[in-house]
Amino acid sequence: PAPAEAGRVPGPPDGGWGWMVLLGAFVSIGFAYAFPKGLAIFFKEIQDFFGTSYSEIAWVSSIMLATTYGAGPISSILVNRYGSRPVVMFGGLLCGVGMISAAFCTSILQLYICVGFITGFGLALNLQPSVIIIGKYFLKRRPLANGLAMAGSPVMLCTLAPLNQFLFDNFGWRGSFLILGAILLNCCVAGALFRPIGPGTAQVKTQVTEEGKDALKGKITEDGPMESKTEEEGEKDCFEKVNQYLDFSLFKHRGFLIYLIGNVLMFLGFFAPIVFLAPYAKHTGVDEYSAAFLLSILAIVDMVARPATGIIANSRWVRPRIQYFFSFAIAFNGACHLLCPLASSYTGLIVYSSFFGLAFGMVCAMLFETLMDLVGAARFTSAVGLVTIAECCTILLGPPIGGILIDTFGDYKYMFIKCGSVMVLAGTFLFIMNYYNYRMLAKEEKERKAKEEDPKSVRTENEGQKNWNKDSTQDGPELEPLKEKGEGLKKEMNGT
Amino acid sequence: AGFIKSPLSQKRLAQDSVELYCEAIGNPIPEIQWWFEGNDPNETHAQLWDGARQDRVKINATYNLHSTSTISIANLTADDSGMYECRASNDPDRNHLSKSPKVKWIRSQANVFVIERPDIAGNFLVGDGKVTLWCNMSEPQHTITGHKWIHKEKTLKEDNEPGASTSYTFEGTVEEHSGIYECIFEGNPQTRGQVNISVPPQVTAYKKSEHGNEGDTGVLTCKNPSFPAVTTWSWHKSGHGVSARLENASGRYIIKSSGNKTELRILKLDIEQDTGDYFCNATNPLGTGDATVNLRVRSRLAALWPFLGIVAEVLVLVTIIFIYEKRRKPDEVPD
Repeated sequence: PAPAEAGRVPGPPDGGWGWMVLLGAFVSIGFAYAFPKGLAIFFKEIQDFFGTSYSEIAWVSSIMLATTYGAGPISSILVNRYGSRPVVMFGGLLCGVGMISAAFCTSILQLYICVGFITGFGLALNLQPSVIIIGKYFLKRRPLANGLAMAGSPVMLCTLAPLNQFLFDNFGWRGSFLILGAILLNCCVAGALFRPIGPGTAQVKTQVTEEGKDALKGKITEDGPMESKTEEEGEKDCFEKVNQYLDFSLFKHRGFLIYLIGNVLMFLGFFAPIVFLAPYAKHTGVDEYSAAFLLSILAIVDMVARPATGIIANSRWVRPRIQYFFSFAIAFNGACHLLCPLASSYTGLIVYSSFFGLAFGMVCAMLFETLMDLVGAARFTSAVGLVTIAECCTILLGPPIGGILIDTFGDYKYMFIKCGSVMVLAGTFLFIMNYYNYRMLAKEEKERKAKEEDPKSVRTENEGQKNWNKDSTQDGPELEPLKEKGEGLKKEMNGT
Repeated sequence: AGFIKSPLSQKRLAQDSVELYCEAIGNPIPEIQWWFEGNDPNETHAQLWDGARQDRVKINATYNLHSTSTISIANLTADDSGMYECRASNDPDRNHLSKSPKVKWIRSQANVFVIERPDIAGNFLVGDGKVTLWCNMSEPQHTITGHKWIHKEKTLKEDNEPGASTSYTFEGTVEEHSGIYECIFEGNPQTRGQVNISVPPQVTAYKKSEHGNEGDTGVLTCKNPSFPAVTTWSWHKSGHGVSARLENASGRYIIKSSGNKTELRILKLDIEQDTGDYFCNATNPLGTGDATVNLRVRSRLAALWPFLGIVAEVLVLVTIIFIYEKRRKPDEVPD
């Protein structure tokens, strides 16, 4: 059912300018994920120039990654306050400034600050709003949009790696940083594409056409990017003021907690295999170029897997059960790692890389989609900020723990076993808890239906965790992607 | 008193060393002595002490819970062949001169055979795109059970033939395969010979063309992986048709050299002065070799043009997007 045109304009357009926004998000997300990895090419030269050890150089990457994930809540607060566009443009500017000043650095400490903190912070300001704005522009096609946008990461990585090598050969590392700073300014262009759109403007229409709804809805008619403005009422309280910017009440949200725990667990074993794939290949006797080729295979399969997963997740069979699909993808990833030690020949490693690329792409494509699915586009802004700062710790811990395992046992297989088991555990946990969650949601839905027979139809926003269902009650039944058409019709009858 | 461990008979090559080990137990703790009887029919038993035979003999004894003693003889000669006896006694009267016939010393014997080092002649032949190495043992004193060829700690070939000569052939040139090759004759004992393939320096540049930024330090490297090692390295620069030897005189050039690598560092690169070809020249006992490295100095502003170009592109795109949006706004209700 296509969104009706006249009289009943739904919120997310699911198309039109949304595709331009998707392009911007593609670029923005691509830079945010691929840039720290692409910098590795310069490290050897910088290490020689400043005369430091390899671990000191590696800190640059770690600080950048930590800042990108750790500054998530700040990013969320800023988006809640100002909307996506200004934040991304400022973020792009910050990245550019960071890298340009890095080109003139004279000590490793200055590099930490310029490349690590400033650029990292800029990338954080890029990443969150891009993901958030997809949720605002897409609903029916949201999984597909997420998959396509996340595909930016491997595409950018494949472009950045040879580009960085070319820049380095022709301009040295200082010149390359200067030019990379300019390239990062393109994030501002991406940000310019993020034309503001608010469910607030949509609410005006639905309020006009559907009377007799929840009293709270009336308050949402104010123009504003976020629905968490419901807390704006009586915001004298400091706690409520904080909540306006960053929705801490999410910690009472069952789905959010499930997602948080499952993901924090998963990230312990997510990135380590990529970091150690090339060294492991060299350890089994493969030469350097073939080892690098494995990573290329991974990236290419990843690139294809993400949009494909987006399409699958968007289909009518999978979308209502998307959480199961996500848990399956994580467990599949874990299974790949557990089987890796069995692959001893180069062909085995190629097979492993392809499956790993597939699994990695699947998980990444749905990473934010599942969160949006659980908490709804409204509270997603705060949710993504809180999730990224929690993941920050485990992301940073994962590879070093793997490294310690490898050093202690002298064998890579324990690292693979650890990563694989952590992910299978995370996948199983998510699967079971989401099964429980779906059942609870179904039960609450029944209770709500019973109450809606009541003329009083008041439901506060904090109940009814199935927020995409909630979106549909506010924005019009045709936005409900797939399920419960019957309920939608009933609401229509209630409204008119 | 009784022996826990007895010394073992051994065969050794001349100039090698040998170690015999003896352990005895008793109450009180027995004393251990080493005695030697040579192969000469005229020789009688003689005791060995620490420092005997021109300090070639070393005896190390410990008397803790039980007695242990190790005798080692270095730089063996044919005269060291014979029967070595480990004697132990814990009789309090053992060293008494008058009571010696009554004292009991328990004895354990081992034979040591010193074999003359056989002459091993080794050489190599070049021909037909192949190189053949061979080793001949002139007078084998013992049975040979096999052969092995080793180069740079890798085993190239091994077999179980009993012959007194062995050879190894490979394809290639001596220039590519210079170094020290060892031929090993397995047996009791094991003997080794050596074949050296020596060539003039095969110098190569790490990178044929190097880049450096103005004002930074440029590093040019040449290496010589062949054998034998280089005794002298020198760097030359050609410019204006003249080849000048580079010294550290001006303070801008720093040269670090080792047997197989040399590094020229140029501080504060200057576009005009330092761009050009550099020659590294190596000399070793067999000849000389050289290589060329080209240095290009980038101006500081080289990266500036692409930078400005991209910034301009960004500004243009952002302006276009905003103008497009402003023009659409009056016509259309923003969704």
